[in-house]
Amino acid sequence: MVKSLRKWWPLFLLPTALSFAFGFVIPFVEGLYLSFCRFISISNPKFVGISNYVAALADPQFAHSFWLTALFTIVITVLINVIALAIALCFTRKGLKGSNGFRTVFFMPNLIGGIVLGYIWQILINGVLTIVGQQLLALNTVAGFWGLVILMLWQQVGYMMIIYIAGLQSIPSDYLEAAKVDGATAWQTLWKVKIPNLMPTITICLFLTITNGFKLFDQNLALTGGAPDHSTELLALNIYNTFYARAGAKWMGIGQAKAVIFCILVICISMIQLRATQSKEVQQ
Amino acid sequence: MKANGNISRRQFVSMSAVAGLGLALAGCGSTGGSSSTSDSGSGSSASGKVYYLNFKPEVDSQWQELAKAYTKETGVEVSVVTAASDTYEQKLQSEMSKSSAPTLFQVNGPIGLKSWKDYCADLTGTDILNELTNDNLALKDGDKVLGIDYVEEDYGIIYNKDLLTKAGYKESDITSFGTLKKVADDIQARKDELGVKGAFTSAGMDSSSNWRYTTHLANMPIYYEFVKDDEEQTGTDAIKGTYLDNYKQIYDLYITDSTTDPAQLASKTGDDANNEFVNGEAVFYQNGSWAWADISKKLGEDKVGMLPIYIGVDGEEKQGLCSGGENYWCVNSQASEEDQKATLDFLKWVVTSDTGTKSLASDMGLNCPFKSAKEPDNPFSKIAKQMISDGKTSVNWDFVWIPSEQWKSDLSNALTKYAAGTDKWDAVKTAFVDGWKTESEANAE
Amino acid sequence: MQREKITNRILTVVFTVLSLAWIYPMVMILVNSFKQNTAITTGTAFNPVTAETSAGIANYISALTKQGFAAAFGYTLVITLTSVALILVCCSMCAWYVVRVNNKFCKALYYLFVFSMVVPFQMLMFTLSSLADSMGLNTPYNICFIYLGFGAGLAVFMFAGFVKTIPLEIEEAATIDGCSPVQTFFHVVLPIMKPTYISVGILETMWVWNDYLLPYLVLDSTKYKTIPILIQYFRGGYGHVELGPMMACIMMTILPIIIVYLLCQRFIISGVVSGAVKG
Repeated sequence: MVKSLRKWWPLFLLPTALSFAFGFVIPFVEGLYLSFCRFISISNPKFVGISNYVAALADPQFAHSFWLTALFTIVITVLINVIALAIALCFTRKGLKGSNGFRTVFFMPNLIGGIVLGYIWQILINGVLTIVGQQLLALNTVAGFWGLVILMLWQQVGYMMIIYIAGLQSIPSDYLEAAKVDGATAWQTLWKVKIPNLMPTITICLFLTITNGFKLFDQNLALTGGAPDHSTELLALNIYNTFYARAGAKWMGIGQAKAVIFCILVICISMIQLRATQSKEVQQ
Repeated sequence: MKANGNISRRQFVSMSAVAGLGLALAGCGSTGGSSSTSDSGSGSSASGKVYYLNFKPEVDSQWQELAKAYTKETGVEVSVVTAASDTYEQKLQSEMSKSSAPTLFQVNGPIGLKSWKDYCADLTGTDILNELTNDNLALKDGDKVLGIDYVEEDYGIIYNKDLLTKAGYKESDITSFGTLKKVADDIQARKDELGVKGAFTSAGMDSSSNWRYTTHLANMPIYYEFVKDDEEQTGTDAIKGTYLDNYKQIYDLYITDSTTDPAQLASKTGDDANNEFVNGEAVFYQNGSWAWADISKKLGEDKVGMLPIYIGVDGEEKQGLCSGGENYWCVNSQASEEDQKATLDFLKWVVTSDTGTKSLASDMGLNCPFKSAKEPDNPFSKIAKQMISDGKTSVNWDFVWIPSEQWKSDLSNALTKYAAGTDKWDAVKTAFVDGWKTESEANAE
Repeated sequence: MQREKITNRILTVVFTVLSLAWIYPMVMILVNSFKQNTAITTGTAFNPVTAETSAGIANYISALTKQGFAAAFGYTLVITLTSVALILVCCSMCAWYVVRVNNKFCKALYYLFVFSMVVPFQMLMFTLSSLADSMGLNTPYNICFIYLGFGAGLAVFMFAGFVKTIPLEIEEAATIDGCSPVQTFFHVVLPIMKPTYISVGILETMWVWNDYLLPYLVLDSTKYKTIPILIQYFRGGYGHVELGPMMACIMMTILPIIIVYLLCQRFIISGVVSGAVKG
């Protein structure tokens, strides 16, 4: 079948690949070029070699943002995936009353866009902090960090849950019946049947949580704005501030350079993750 | 297999209906939509187009009306797009690289000009420049005039006349920092008796409000230092902080004689302060002429006044309100000759024609420093004019020389911590003085 | 089976409580959308609507009559429908091809798709908007190609993941029966992947419907606005935010999505591969 499929590439491959070239590849390459330039409007860039990269790497705030973002991403990746899988397992049980309603409720947070969400949670968290007599978000690094974690959790668990549910539902039911017939407990079924067959789904969800964690911007800007003193400034916010917090052509270029470094870092991390989980995937 | 795999007829019909609804809404909307490109039928012999990227979201609909009126009169196509709040730079950068870039945009002063110098046409000798009443309002780079300030705004300490009288004082009682403090302390001590929550509204430090302290209030020590060292026209790379003690005392006054506990200030917003003022919970509210639109919803013109911001400098009895501009029109030098000319003609029309001046003054409430400008219906602008004719000296907007947004946000951080008691005033001093030097160096080419 | 029933009951209770907490922030938006602006402050945001703070439906009317609401809604709808349809059809086909053919080129392309998911939008937002402008892809009717290009990464990645779970034997059987690749795809693969289509469809719809920055920078602003852009305009200069109408606008934006999601829910329940090979 593969032999005959190959010649169908104009139909299957071309539309996506072409749009991808225009919608991503070309802008990306141009953006890459800009990272070696100074510019205000991108129609008039001036090439300056690697000085942008030197400046970007020398910025201590950039390094701080990186480590903070890495920590943040590890925390939310673990939390979101464990919780989402647990919930998905519950919601695919036979006979759980109201599971449809629950699924809808857990997914709803995804319906609200980034910035607005951040403001609402800011009001919420500041309200709670006031009640327990702690410093407000603008002064409280710890509350800012955990606030972001809770916010991400709230928003992303539903998203990952949907994917896990789809994955669970595509496990052939005879595998599950066979396990039952063999007398496996629920726990054994989970580890020996469900999870191995879920590996592609787990790959997807891990990848998505890791990249979403690193790319987080809107909510970071709205919830803490990096306060206090840039201590809750994640990478994307750092790049944004590099663009706009100071006037002048060189900052745009340095921001681009930071964005490229960011890409390289995250792609390395994700590649490691993808390799690790994809090697465990089982093609049926 | 077929029933499972294919979309059922009912679903297909309903999806098409939804798609059709979308197209219908889009269709009926675009005729009444927020653009104002001209109909092709009205004298398209006029050449050149105008594309204005507007900075102020609250006057977007007024600019759309104005653009339509101009097109009707002259047949020249005028499009106005307003950038969403806090996104002007981003939008401008994005639009500038397009085939039809804005022909008219704005910068916020000498710092903003650093970025956009190469895109600003020289306005020397143009009609619009001639209409300017005050040469200081032209933004220069060497000999070239690259920007024209089109709004003059004033700020100070707005106060509630009824409440002040109730406390037993008159405006003429407050002529210096000492007297201001005396009155405020007294009101704060008797706040329950007077039925207010504090003398001053909350000095909120969230992003919607902190600029009143990191920019507007900070202007006072900057201004006095500039006057003393004669740096008004050039700014400086290293501020000394000579008047920081005065800055401290006025800020202390704001946060102690307040409706709100200082530790809570971090989350108070601009809207909070406004609401406190219009609901009669406070007597004093530091803000400017732009605040009139919101205040006027609940308080009448005769109920409010504006005091200068006194910080305890010798001779401040002669000090007036802080007046200046942060909005400079620039014409895109990379646009075609035709478009540039059309833009200049449009600008001239806006500030000289009856329709234009009326729109600026009455509909937008702006006080424009042009020869034919009408008086806006704004009590604060009137007060500012009155003070000038009474011989008071206006305080210039020297904060336009602040080296970067980064400086403002660092100062905001330091002030918030100081107010909450988690850090000392020394941190504020460091942010102010050392920060200015660092940021100026970072700006260096 | 008793144990399972009891566990189910306990879970129902636990999740009911969790759901209420989960939904609270959205209830807050709903409640606040009926208040007057002055009553929505950090202190009072938790308070329920009282007679004196109530603005009735004034906020909703204000949001609806705000310049261009109907148009913005229409444009957002058009953009979302075209983009999602295009993405679902094209990316699923592309993913199936890439996974099945699996030669060097496909592998490279797959990793390129994965890479695109990692790039922060800020890095190419200006270059993308400039390119879209020069290609004329800046109207709601053709911006779907930009979304296809930019969103291809995520969609192909997810479809590829699910294609790998489809037993090859099913497809081989179809080929033996005489199906061409196109027929195999539409008659065998597509039905099996229905849950995937729904899931990816929902996720893509979420993204495009709520997307703010891409339309803001790419669409021709003199003519078109989308709803997320409109919501931002409730924030005026000088930090003033019209919170009441903004909350009302948000509610009205969420409602269609909830309806779509509830309709699609039914498809997520069905769709278990019932061992077609063995049976």
